[in-house]
Amino acid sequence: MSMNHSRRHALKIGALGSSLCLSQFLRANAIQKQPDSERSAILVFLGGGPSHQDTFDLKPQAPAEYRGQFRPIQTAASGIQICEHLPKLAQRADQYALIRGISHSLADHGLGTRYLMTGNLPTPVVNYPMYGSVVSREFPSAEDVPSFVSIDRPVEGPGYLGAEYGPLSTGEKPRYGQPFRVRGITLDGTMTIDKYQSRTQLLQDLDSAFAGYEELDDSVRGFDRFSDQAYQIISSPRARNAFDLTLEADREVDRFGRHEFGQSMLLTTRLVEAGVRFVTVLLEGWDTHRDNFNTLGRDLLPNLDQSLSALFDRLREKGLIESTSVLVTGEFGRTPKVNKNSGRDHWARAMCSLMAGGDVEPGQVIGGTDNKAAGPIGDGFSPDDLAASFFANIGIDPQKEYEANVGRPITLIRNGSPITGLLR
Amino acid sequence: MNRTCMWLLGYLGVALLGAPLGYAAEIQLPANQRFAAEKTSETPDFQRHVVPLLGRLGCNSRSCHGSFQGRGGLRLSLFGYDFKMDHSALTSKSSNGNQNRIDRDKPDQSLIIQKPSFQIDHEGGERFRVDSWEHHLFRRWIESGARGVDQPRELSHLEIEPSEVVFDRRSAPVQLKVIAVWNNDDREDVTPLCRFRTNNDAIVTVDDNGVLTSTGRGDTHVIAFYDNGVRAVPVMRPISSDGTPQQQEKSATTPIDRFILAKLDKLGITASKLCTDAEFLRRASIDITGTLPTPQEVDDFLSDNSPEKRTRKIEELLDRTAYAAWWANKLCDFTGCNPSQQAELGQETSVQWYMWIYARLQDNLPYDELVGRIVLSTSRGESQTYNDYARQMSSYFRDENPDDFSQRPTMPHYWTRRSMEEPEQAAQAFAHNFLGIRLQCAQCHKHPFAPWTQHDFQEFSRFFESIEFGVRPEERETYQQMARKVGLNVRGDNGSPIRNDVLRHAKEGRTIPWRELYISERTEPESLSLLRSGQVQLGPNNDPREPIMEWMTAPDNPWFARAFVNRVWAGYFHKGIIDPPDDLTPANPPSHPKLLDWLTSEFIHHDYDMRWLHREIVSSEAYQRSWNPSENNHHDRHNFSRMIPRRLPAEVVYDSIKQTLASDENLDEVRNDLTRRAIGHLSMRLAGTYAMQVFGKPDRAVNCDCERDNQPTLLQSVFLQNDPLVEQRLDNSDWLVEIAERESSNSTPVSTQELVRQAWMRALNRPPTNAETKRALKHIQTTGAVTEGLRDLLWALINTKEFVLIH
Repeated sequence: MSMNHSRRHALKIGALGSSLCLSQFLRANAIQKQPDSERSAILVFLGGGPSHQDTFDLKPQAPAEYRGQFRPIQTAASGIQICEHLPKLAQRADQYALIRGISHSLADHGLGTRYLMTGNLPTPVVNYPMYGSVVSREFPSAEDVPSFVSIDRPVEGPGYLGAEYGPLSTGEKPRYGQPFRVRGITLDGTMTIDKYQSRTQLLQDLDSAFAGYEELDDSVRGFDRFSDQAYQIISSPRARNAFDLTLEADREVDRFGRHEFGQSMLLTTRLVEAGVRFVTVLLEGWDTHRDNFNTLGRDLLPNLDQSLSALFDRLREKGLIESTSVLVTGEFGRTPKVNKNSGRDHWARAMCSLMAGGDVEPGQVIGGTDNKAAGPIGDGFSPDDLAASFFANIGIDPQKEYEANVGRPITLIRNGSPITGLLR
Repeated sequence: MNRTCMWLLGYLGVALLGAPLGYAAEIQLPANQRFAAEKTSETPDFQRHVVPLLGRLGCNSRSCHGSFQGRGGLRLSLFGYDFKMDHSALTSKSSNGNQNRIDRDKPDQSLIIQKPSFQIDHEGGERFRVDSWEHHLFRRWIESGARGVDQPRELSHLEIEPSEVVFDRRSAPVQLKVIAVWNNDDREDVTPLCRFRTNNDAIVTVDDNGVLTSTGRGDTHVIAFYDNGVRAVPVMRPISSDGTPQQQEKSATTPIDRFILAKLDKLGITASKLCTDAEFLRRASIDITGTLPTPQEVDDFLSDNSPEKRTRKIEELLDRTAYAAWWANKLCDFTGCNPSQQAELGQETSVQWYMWIYARLQDNLPYDELVGRIVLSTSRGESQTYNDYARQMSSYFRDENPDDFSQRPTMPHYWTRRSMEEPEQAAQAFAHNFLGIRLQCAQCHKHPFAPWTQHDFQEFSRFFESIEFGVRPEERETYQQMARKVGLNVRGDNGSPIRNDVLRHAKEGRTIPWRELYISERTEPESLSLLRSGQVQLGPNNDPREPIMEWMTAPDNPWFARAFVNRVWAGYFHKGIIDPPDDLTPANPPSHPKLLDWLTSEFIHHDYDMRWLHREIVSSEAYQRSWNPSENNHHDRHNFSRMIPRRLPAEVVYDSIKQTLASDENLDEVRNDLTRRAIGHLSMRLAGTYAMQVFGKPDRAVNCDCERDNQPTLLQSVFLQNDPLVEQRLDNSDWLVEIAERESSNSTPVSTQELVRQAWMRALNRPPTNAETKRALKHIQTTGAVTEGLRDLLWALINTKEFVLIH
């Protein structure tokens, strides 16, 4: 709707800036940030629902059947303690912010994941887009690298934005010492670059049915464009090298760790360095209904500690931490009380996430949970708030509206707003 | 089925969609004239004048006070029509509590005058001038007591003059005049109180006062909104520059073409020529059966000289099982068959759903009956005991000699899926599935582009309250006993879903306890409105679905048959006559209203015969046109003057690659064994797999036809060029194996040139040109073995636009 308030409005921004609502502020802000087109983001998804009270929200004062087996340790950020099995991350606590007391009610993997990956409560009426799809629509990458990559499979899809904004999924995770192939990018078997190029040369000569009319129809034009881009991605050294972990020095491979988490994180950083806008990296195994402490203590936590610390270090060394937003989260937390199998079950009333990079004010904890880590103190934060914060940090206005395919405009994050104090 | 228990109080018709212009009563002059002078004795009416004016000035829009958070402390109902809420908002104190929004004694001191006239600061700026008619109207309303409305009055319909606008290059702007006709036959010129919208501003713009200005050639609609009335005016400016009238209508060969060519004549658009026989065969085979023709079929068709050959081919295609298989997919799209939303055993029940529809399409059961058997379905037959029912359900899953679910007369899974649990969600899904309308907006506010109010939505939702899925109270004991026998853990009274551990018993031939679909008792009789076109009395034991079904299949129902006809049309063209095809609102008018009316009434007339509908559409010249543009139809996107290339649907891409690479020996099996086809029985098993996601097979998780995404994407190109699935198919191509064997056995050698021809016939369903053959042979020479060269050639052909598009 056209409002003739432009003159007055402009005046008000100067004189009465404080009365602007947040969305307007962000919009104004986003306009200034837009030219910074080198933004990218990483979502580390801890699939299965990591135990918040055994990682970043410990309750050492709680009774034994609640606090579990792990002890907290001091970190580089004063007053912040995290789990003893995360010593490297403790040393780097001044580089990220922890958000405790995130709370919702969908303790089901499917629904919880959908909620956390979109920042919108799932409904049968609208399919909301996953973060990466929004980012690849707002900040498409250069022609010869994909905008959005998912290691190894997509976690939620492009929703109402349409298939164009879906991720390129690698199809498998890199494993140290084994050849890593990326679905659709790696040339398999006897295929070589030369052979692929001779095929595409043949294709170019034969694909002439619409010659002279390429511009007439969207589908024809679209296929031409995407076919070229696919060729560039498959044949260009930039994309191929980004996926090739054998180009990393041994020292670097060791820094990230020769385990699946480490190799996946190493791939993640290589992709961001190559210009991919959004990387989802799926680190699974957190659904610890039984044997929670052994699983976490021997395996998951040390691997996460090593690989996530290496990711932060590498982004810093490459000068990318300012332009890269990192979110580490699962779909929910776990039950306060340890169950009879030494496990913890699904618990959505409290969970914890980590954010770093971009404009995140590091070295702080925002929010908190009660003395058994069962629920937030006060209202806590919603996944919507977390999503709004992540988008704001990437430089996308969470109040932005999209002409969705459901016949009405949809606000990106309708029920959340960026968490106060999280961003600079 | 018990159909005796309903009292339909007759249909009011859908007066809002249109009524003939008439001048029974005197027309009241427009408000901008009546309130032009400062002094007037007229008392403005809250519903008729104040709220529409708020809408017209944009006050209740989403970006202003219509926002769910309100603005500046004031919140109005979005797009109006919640008169109570709006009245109390306007007559209360301001949010900081210091000032009255209205001041009956000193009307000009009222905030609702001072702010919008910008006498004091207003974030929304100046909405009207001091001393304007708007100012006078609001002031007069306040000083006359600022009364609201107790019972909203019913708007009969809107009339617009002129009823159609045809511009030429030199035309002056045209003023629209909108008359509101109320149910008591009051008539008022409401032009200054309307909101206007153009559906394409590259053709015509409309200003706030309803003045149309031509901006380009083509045709579109301008829509007027007032109260809950919506009315569209067609606007066009012919395409041809020389102004010579076209005479194409006379040459129309089918009824469909008569309507299409008449409009093209009017627009001065020359239709494209008919497509070639090869193009026709490929196009019709894909659209009717989701299957490419075989090389043999192409040869036979091209060498057939009979003028009737296209007609005969259409008939032949409609008789194939692949027609039923492919269109069962489409009906599963329309009805929302989704493995992850089923009440239990998602994979199995969605396959049953698909197969049930497939069997009905094979029998060509009339559409109304097919839908009736879904809509009115119950789990149990009329005199079936619970034990018999449980035994029957279990028998579908028996390993040995299972009963066939698709032989069941009715298909209850439609109602039992989890997404139908809430009556509001059921109402939205139902309206989308069978009526092609989107009610979801009206759940929270008045629908901005349709007459639906929240009240309409709530009443419609209430029909779905008594549809239950669970355990009938009187069967609880039987159910529990059965559950204990098979070790089914039941929480609560309403039964539990069957999971694989319990299903095992059914597989081994035992009876397991199934929940059932039934209608519960209403506490008291009530009278509910069916989207304002029929009032229904529901007694305590009535099945609410019966009056709905009766209403849908009444000949004057404006949506049921129309929505289906339009969706089938959209399956053959790049868009519906109404597009999007699931958005039947007066603000989204058909491009060819008479054509749609005719097709709909003939479809009903032919007893909802689906094959008749398909035949009628595919037989038209409109469908058989070339994609090659004529001298002036390059930009026509919605008058069907040429075929717009469309991408193959996901399932068809999958099957077509397989078929292209199959050996001559296996070709028939690859095509006809539906249990191995993505358009066939694999349809549900493949749902959600990578290839299906990349090519936009719908999850059927939301109520939108748009979920089937046929846009090209980067990943599709990556997939076709280098996905392991395609690469494996090429590596293991039976056809190439066959050729290699023939080569090595030195039996009758086939010339490379012939093999090249075969490759074209397989992938693109036409013979290659000489230049193409030459280029292909040149490539094959550079590779070591013929099969290697052919493999490259097949790869290239699969990657052409000609392969992946329907053209």
